[in-house]
Amino acid sequence: MDLLKAIMERRSVRSFKADPIPEDMLQRLVEAGIWAPSGGNAQTWCFIIVTDSGSIRRLKMLSPGLLGNPPAVIVICQNVAEAERKGAKLGKEVLMLMDSAMAAQNIMLAAYAEGLGTCIVRSFHPGGIQKLLRLPEYIEPQILISIGVTASVSKPPKRNFDIVSFQEYRGND
Amino acid sequence: MISSIETKVFELICYMVTSACNLLNENRLYGSFRLLDTASRLITLLEEEGVRSKRLGEIRERIVAGQYSVMEDEKIFADFLQDLVLALIPLMEDGTV
Repeated sequence: MDLLKAIMERRSVRSFKADPIPEDMLQRLVEAGIWAPSGGNAQTWCFIIVTDSGSIRRLKMLSPGLLGNPPAVIVICQNVAEAERKGAKLGKEVLMLMDSAMAAQNIMLAAYAEGLGTCIVRSFHPGGIQKLLRLPEYIEPQILISIGVTASVSKPPKRNFDIVSFQEYRGND
Repeated sequence: MISSIETKVFELICYMVTSACNLLNENRLYGSFRLLDTASRLITLLEEEGVRSKRLGEIRERIVAGQYSVMEDEKIFADFLQDLVLALIPLMEDGTV
């Protein structure tokens, strides 16, 4: 699939069909995630693939932003202790968040290329999800990505290239 | 044995309580969105338990059609909420309330 086409056609999907997602396909998505850039090549992330319907229901109870009934969720986590050890304050407070976001975008584009819909979710209770997934204290959930076959999708919000792109910054006031 | 309806209500309550916590640090419009989503989930829960009505179904249909405008345009979302409230009035006359 043409990359630019995937970038422009990917949408946030909040309505999924019940079709299960093959495990090897989910593993390919995580593989795409770990090929994202990482600040200082820290790679302090880890990825938890959740497909058990009971576990997804419990995730949803603590994740108001996790909408619809996706058959799979990838939880992108960061090893905060390692992020701080490798990247100091910048690593812990900035780079690990950026790394998670870049991995998430890779996963979502790879999913789109596989014919799947996704939605990136940050509206969840990190401490609750950490406890639910029995993660140690230093492994923090950063992003959830719901994954499934798209049932329906909203129209895309507008993009305004002309008012956000400059040769020299001149503002929009 | 825990009844099916108790489990569903528990799930809904978890969603509401977590929303209450998270909304302290989220976009203020998401408060409206979560209330709408709760209403929609409640209607679905009741339907699954055999409590169905035309007006509840209609309200959920309207919510589903308009709730995601919160991600697109604040004014469209605000107009949608105004229209939704006004649409409740004729439905009041359809039932016992």
